[in-house]
Amino acid sequence: MKTIVITGATSGIGLSVLKQSLKKGFKVIGIGRDQNKIDIVTNELSEYVSKEYLIFLKADLMELTEVKRVGLEIKKYLQEINSGLLDALINNAGCVRNWYSTNSQGYEQQFALNHLAGFYLTHFLLDCIIKAKGKILITSSKSHMNTKIRWNDIMFEKHYHPLLVYKQSKLANMLFSYELNNRYKALGIKAYGIDPGLVNTNIGLKNTGGLVKFVWNIRKRFGLSPEVPAKTYLYLLEEMPSPIDLYYHNSKPAYYSSEVNFKNSFRFFVLSEQLCNIKFGDFS
Amino acid sequence: MKVLITGAAGGLGRTYINECIKRSYEVCATDINNNGLITMKEGIYNRYRKNILTYPCDLTNDNSVNKLMDYLKEQQFEVDMLLNVAGIDFEGGFLDRSFSEIQNVINLNILGTLRVTHKILSSKEFSKRFYIINISSLAAEQPIPLKATYAASKRFLLDFSRAIGEELKSKHVNVLAVCPGGLATTCEVMHAINGQGFFGAITTCNMERVVTHSIDYVLKGKTKYIPGIFNKLASSLNYLLPISFTTKYLYKRWAKAQSTWLTGLVEEIKV
Repeated sequence: MKTIVITGATSGIGLSVLKQSLKKGFKVIGIGRDQNKIDIVTNELSEYVSKEYLIFLKADLMELTEVKRVGLEIKKYLQEINSGLLDALINNAGCVRNWYSTNSQGYEQQFALNHLAGFYLTHFLLDCIIKAKGKILITSSKSHMNTKIRWNDIMFEKHYHPLLVYKQSKLANMLFSYELNNRYKALGIKAYGIDPGLVNTNIGLKNTGGLVKFVWNIRKRFGLSPEVPAKTYLYLLEEMPSPIDLYYHNSKPAYYSSEVNFKNSFRFFVLSEQLCNIKFGDFS
Repeated sequence: MKVLITGAAGGLGRTYINECIKRSYEVCATDINNNGLITMKEGIYNRYRKNILTYPCDLTNDNSVNKLMDYLKEQQFEVDMLLNVAGIDFEGGFLDRSFSEIQNVINLNILGTLRVTHKILSSKEFSKRFYIINISSLAAEQPIPLKATYAASKRFLLDFSRAIGEELKSKHVNVLAVCPGGLATTCEVMHAINGQGFFGAITTCNMERVVTHSIDYVLKGKTKYIPGIFNKLASSLNYLLPISFTTKYLYKRWAKAQSTWLTGLVEEIKV
């Protein structure tokens, strides 16, 4: 039995991946922000799934302290139940904000949730993943193309533009998976960035407001159902795709931005370490 | 420059800390929420490798503010700029809230601000230029039904800052009142902005720009700052239209906004 962790598992793509991976016999640990939604999902699935296969933890991953708490909780749990093995971590939780807003550490919210939360959670679960020679799947997007990391204004404090911030955070996801491969490929783990395409989810409606909400309400009608991109996740979880490709769309490798290179990914990784005040994967 | 920020663990206060650190000012942050101050201190250290002073303080309590003053003296932190950010928002009708809640608004927004300002100013020798920023609101421009206490308390701050600015001009004190529209500081505020629909979106200001500009303006010696073109226009309408008309209109708008806001909350939980 393989164990996986999914963040943002109560709605959208995360929920579809959760359902499909339960069907394939994975044991799933889901992380959600809202207790109501967690209850709804567990009630809905309780008929089909036995309790040991599905566990939900509540955490607001926007706050790094919460990420730490839930990361250590999962680790402890895995050590008790599964001798510390984690076969896959799916960093899927994400958000869009129309205006500049910060988490309690003063980090911009899209940056904090879309990139830093995944980064920090991976840090806590890294040795579990290495033990199982597992995989790390990160929900990126095609919008990571045609943009750059703004090194001198990483949180967009000079001029906030919701779309550019989102694009940068998705590029950050790609840089992170690239650097994970660089550092830990030899230990048998593999990281992938996934482009779900345009999907009919509510990401643009939660606490966004303004123009983003208006645009997303129109745009999401043209989106696919979240079950379609979930297939890509399942493909990557079950198969052993070629280790060279990094970025997948519709279960096929795709081209990614030339910004995703060694120089940028290394620099960005060091910056993320600094922002979390950690040495990645080091607990001593 | 040494800056004292009240309400520093809230959304706007955090942005002010960031901006001050970028301008390489020294910061002392105070808030009633000590945990928030500590995480913010960590965040600032991680980003800039710089330490800020933090001290938890309840501005509605006289003893607590005295302790803060002692702490500042102990740290030899002579304040050059005071940012009065602390304040609470207030939604719902006058009779929908208990009296203690209403009292709380006055205690913090008005008395808390005055307490801290008076204590800081009376310990000053005015040898250097001194700067004060008071966070008022766009709500201060006219009476707002269903937000009556809040709007009136912000009106107090607006008039107070402009008056005191004139009074202390000879002592080289610059006072700026900032009157922003909505600011996306917390999830609840974002819900409230969504509830107002188009007008909510258009009156909402970019927090990062409000912060930068307000510090620029207080250094220049401006007395009042309304961020956003639409907000400036809307507030100048107050000089043209009779106040009974605007009040009536705002009552309709807020009644609608608050009802959609509340039902919106319920819907979001269902999804």
